[in-house]
Amino acid sequence: MNELIPLMVIVPLMAALLISAFSKFNTVTKIFAFVVAICLPLIPLLSNYGLHYFGGYEPILDGAANMMYHPAITYSFTFLQQIFIGAIGLLTFLVIFIYLTKYRKVSGPYLFLLFLGTAAVTAMILTDDIFHMFVFFEILALAQVGIVAASSIDYSYEMALKYMVLGSIGSPMMLLGIGFLLALTGSVNVTDIAAAVHNGLVDATSPVFLLSLALIFFGWLYASGLPPFHTIKSGIYSKAEPHGAALLQSFTVISMISIVLIMFRIYASLPIFEVLIVFFSILAMILGVSLALTQTDFRRMIGFLAVGELGFIGLGIGLGTNFSITAGLFQALNEIVITALLFIGFGAIVNATNEVDTRKLGGLLAYHPKVAIMLLIGGLAMAGVPPLSGFQSKLMLVQASLSCGFPEISILAIMVSIATFVVFVKTYYTMFLKPKPNDLELEGKEVPRAMIFAMGVLLIIVILLGIFPDVVTNGISNFVGGIL
Amino acid sequence: MADVQLVILLTSVALVVIGLYSAIFIDNIIKKIIGISFIEEGVNLFIVAIGYKAGGVVPILMPGMDTSWFATNAAYPLPFGLVLTSIVIGASTLAVMLALVMVLYRRYGTLSTKVMLADTSKREEYDE
Amino acid sequence: MKLYDQIFNVVKQFRKLFSPGPVTNADVSGSLTAEIFLIVSLVLSAILLRHVNVLLAGIFTLALAIVLIYSIPLIPKFKIEQEDSLEKMLFYAIVTLALIAVFMYWGGNLV
Repeated sequence: MNELIPLMVIVPLMAALLISAFSKFNTVTKIFAFVVAICLPLIPLLSNYGLHYFGGYEPILDGAANMMYHPAITYSFTFLQQIFIGAIGLLTFLVIFIYLTKYRKVSGPYLFLLFLGTAAVTAMILTDDIFHMFVFFEILALAQVGIVAASSIDYSYEMALKYMVLGSIGSPMMLLGIGFLLALTGSVNVTDIAAAVHNGLVDATSPVFLLSLALIFFGWLYASGLPPFHTIKSGIYSKAEPHGAALLQSFTVISMISIVLIMFRIYASLPIFEVLIVFFSILAMILGVSLALTQTDFRRMIGFLAVGELGFIGLGIGLGTNFSITAGLFQALNEIVITALLFIGFGAIVNATNEVDTRKLGGLLAYHPKVAIMLLIGGLAMAGVPPLSGFQSKLMLVQASLSCGFPEISILAIMVSIATFVVFVKTYYTMFLKPKPNDLELEGKEVPRAMIFAMGVLLIIVILLGIFPDVVTNGISNFVGGIL
Repeated sequence: MADVQLVILLTSVALVVIGLYSAIFIDNIIKKIIGISFIEEGVNLFIVAIGYKAGGVVPILMPGMDTSWFATNAAYPLPFGLVLTSIVIGASTLAVMLALVMVLYRRYGTLSTKVMLADTSKREEYDE
Repeated sequence: MKLYDQIFNVVKQFRKLFSPGPVTNADVSGSLTAEIFLIVSLVLSAILLRHVNVLLAGIFTLALAIVLIYSIPLIPKFKIEQEDSLEKMLFYAIVTLALIAVFMYWGGNLV
């Protein structure tokens, strides 16, 4: 059923518009949002792999030059898209479920933002059109800012405005890069541009082509929160509501991989492309983890850890072999699940204590044992402890960098994993194990059941992916073989 | 007549550079946002300039036009379509930014970036 | 003893990092770990230069290690540069943009 491919974007987009228009009918809105949220992970599972041409404009074969031209915006749906859209759909469902059970009166605009963001990342990973991707990238930025500004946390407006101001430098630069590509090739379809580059119609060593890489790369840094944008990215995670932050980080990961895969298809022939990605990924790993070690606000700490983990994804893609890219994409999938688990778990603690400073917390293990145990497993998975999913992807990354002839990167990756473990253990100790401070009120405050349910679902995925990684990695490996 | 395309390109470069300058050096947040929106406009202008064709016609195939003449003389329509979308996005981004500035101005009573958007982690408790 | 005194001073410096509020054992040990992690990982990534030139990598790594060890505490300096103020974020973003663009335009073919 290829007709389902555009529906993956249209369903959340229409749901967003309808909910914000009819948000005064509270019960109807709740039921409708719940039904749509259930549909989101199901649509990619039911759909067949294939291509969808908007408007039905099939590709045109130019007989004289023996080239294909794609006049329509094309959505390509393969195993990779299926698994990531399934993951984001499941996460959106869990987040909306938490939100709907938390409040008696739901806010239509907030649900609008959640669905809009999901629609935007879905379109970004599906599309084969670089300008289409840019448009949804901007829509995604607006949705992210909205989710941050809608939270009731102190200084969320300030953080949202900072993100927006930085975004209005990052995204025009990306558009400028796309403009350069358009000027060079006369097309915005990635397949056409890549074909033009590989057939030598575009001089790959010309400064304009290199500059277009620089500008799109800068936009990618902004989208993925690698340095110099790591402070703002971790900042917006810490200023969003916990379930919102869980969704925001998955938006970041998916926009990161969808842009980098497009860049990879166009620029893979340039050696400098891989150097740039590896450089910024290593920087992100070092800065993210070392700053996470010095935080006292645990939401900010998870934010920095999430940025540090993004470095692993970039590393896998920057190494440029089939095995390493598979490892990087598998790490991306794991990170979406694990970081969401951590954000929701720590958010449950915020919910129960109204406190975010680790120095004022302690002794929570006796009060919230379920959350504590699930968070422990999540943290171990992020640090890469076998047999959890983080271990499998990090092991693959270490093997990949060894086989590429970069043992330093392997050692660095292991060190970053250890430091991640230190961050997690330190925070876990101060929050759950150390004696309870006298002025901390804990009686009578419960963790919402929906949050525990969401954590349980994510935990099952973490353990299953850790035991059976082949289910995912084989499919991703086939996809990577197609773009190399 | 000077080369129109070159003049447009130079203008767009000037807009982008002014925007980057104002992003670093101007303290007033409204002026900073106006400056930053210059970057966006400069980029839009650049993309419009890509589609420019000296002596070209509007890319609409009217009845009675010869198709091969049209194909050689019409301007390239794709950049114009892209820029329309880009302008709409830029306008909505600008609106959201200014709305946030309005809220923050009511809270702080100043438009200075140094005050309004400084590091918040070291501040004492939040006062409404 | 000199290095010991220096590390002791580092711990004193961390007090400023965590103000306002008390400084706990876990925070100080975390910051010390961050300090060591930062030095080791930067030195380790400097070894990657050996793919360009082995001699350059050796000299650069040694020099970097010496500079980093003698300039501890690094984390307070590091953290001040990466705080949440818009000015610093914008400054680093635009500097990075300029560096990437200049490097790619003139040096993109050198690698």
